[in-house]
Amino acid sequence: MSGITPDISDFATKENLDYYDDLTFGKWLKNIGITIKSCLTGLAITGKVILTKKAVTIEYPEVREELPSNSRSRLFNDVDNCIACLQCAAACPVDCIYITATRRDKEAPKLKTDDGTPIKLDLKQYTIDTALCCYCGLCTVVCPTECLTHTTDYEFSQYTVGEMKYDYLEEDIRAWKHRIVK
Amino acid sequence: MIEINGKDIGDLTTLNYEKMKSDLLTLNMGPQHPATHGVLRVEIKTDSEIIAEATPYIGYLHRCFEKHAEKIDYRGVIPFVDRMDYLGAMGMEWGYALTVEKMLGTEVPRRAQYIRTIVGELQRIASHLLFYGVYAIDLGAFSPFLYAFDEREKVLRLFEELSGARLLYNYIWIGGVWNDITDDQLRRITKFVDNLEEEVKTYHKLVGENKIFIERTANVAVISEEMAYQYGATGPILRASGVDWDLRKKRPYGIYEELDFDVPLGKGEKGQVGDCWDRYHVRVQEINESIKILRQCLDGIEEGSIMGKVPKVLKVPEGEIYLRTECPRGELGYHLVSDGGKTPYRLKIKSSCFTHVSMLPELAPGQMIADFVATIGSIDIVLGEVDR
Ligand code: SF4
Ligand code: SF4
Repeated sequence: MSGITPDISDFATKENLDYYDDLTFGKWLKNIGITIKSCLTGLAITGKVILTKKAVTIEYPEVREELPSNSRSRLFNDVDNCIACLQCAAACPVDCIYITATRRDKEAPKLKTDDGTPIKLDLKQYTIDTALCCYCGLCTVVCPTECLTHTTDYEFSQYTVGEMKYDYLEEDIRAWKHRIVK
Repeated sequence: MIEINGKDIGDLTTLNYEKMKSDLLTLNMGPQHPATHGVLRVEIKTDSEIIAEATPYIGYLHRCFEKHAEKIDYRGVIPFVDRMDYLGAMGMEWGYALTVEKMLGTEVPRRAQYIRTIVGELQRIASHLLFYGVYAIDLGAFSPFLYAFDEREKVLRLFEELSGARLLYNYIWIGGVWNDITDDQLRRITKFVDNLEEEVKTYHKLVGENKIFIERTANVAVISEEMAYQYGATGPILRASGVDWDLRKKRPYGIYEELDFDVPLGKGEKGQVGDCWDRYHVRVQEINESIKILRQCLDGIEEGSIMGKVPKVLKVPEGEIYLRTECPRGELGYHLVSDGGKTPYRLKIKSSCFTHVSMLPELAPGQMIADFVATIGSIDIVLGEVDR
């Protein structure tokens, strides 16, 4: 080590270690007495808590917590009701919603969402990269048909980042509708 | 003959301790160190147990929020400011919302003002409870941490019901708040507050009056009034040094003008004014003041809407503003420059923790390493806010 002046080590002098300066035998005994007393006070409080308070933890995999109903967890888009208006993608601050849609054929049968909004575009892709998502909830607020919602499902860890990308048009993800949507 | 750094220190039988003493040991505390409360790295030069020099290095949690904000619309910035002080996110949102509202000239409904004050003070309680628990852990006591987290959990649960998230709420919006608070939730807050008042007394007896805790914190890292001014300290640290400065009193925003509460100051009860114990005690007393404020809000809350009139596409008029609010950890300032567009032209954030970290090099020299842990704990920094 270079550039260190040796005299800095004078920090370990008596002045810096003034803890024992005016310690008499009487004070020493008194200190021990106060310490024991305050430790006993602490132990009395802990003892009271042990006897009177119920356990506040839950044993996780066996007991699962029910989250409040407007908890913002995994996103779910009910694609049958989505009109591909792109408002959610515009509102998202991290741009993690990818939507592709084409204009619907004039001859094709007319489709409507559950709340009666006509569907004019065919959704080809609706993907959310939930690894990028910050679960802020801004996309669900702007959705006019309320098809995009947060669910209370919180167990969705994956081994790779790619698996966190959900295409909501896929059959198995569509099936969540009956499983996790409130 | 043994040589250390090219110096002859004698042979094994006649070791020259005087010569051995002359070197300082460089230690890295952090970035992964439980006592640095996040990713702070402090390079300390020690002479055995005594610190001669400490240099904090920051930037490990830098996420470019200020630059990000220039690309996102005004509503989308809120999830980002949440992530600065993630233990006091309501305060961050509130400050930002106030800044934009002032530029827009939006009137916030009374009910929303009350709800904001309630969640803001609950957040202060949660943040101070966390400080209480973690500070006790820093100094070697474990059960206070569990008790404090039990109480804090109730606040987080309430926030989860209100906003949907436990830490990063996105709850206070420009013009109002997201969801309305129900009567049932208000009743629960009343119950929580009544219970907490008793608990805080117990907590203080358990930790603050404990002889070992006093020995570890009294007269340690004294920040004098002069030093606090020089470094620009704010919040509980400034008040612990005996300076009566609270923005909620001196520059009231929201409905704080109508509320009655005191500003606890450090008095040097166990040692000198501005030592670690004072900083601890100011925070514990602030929990009591927050309880006082909450009671008044719960009594006075008015019916009405929770969202003011805000255009769907937010365009802030050209101009600039600097607005500061009192957050759990100190003053938070937003400097917003707008060119009339949909996104901020520049959003500069002044964080209180950043100024507090800069005090470490002056506080550390001459301290024991264990006292240094107590010092870092007592200034209660959140690295997310330091780096932004
Ligand atoms: S929750 Fe937020 S981050 Fe996630 S997709 Fe919706 S808007 Fe984007
Ligand atoms: S806002 Fe709703 S309806 Fe519009 S594209 Fe997004 S999910 Fe579909």
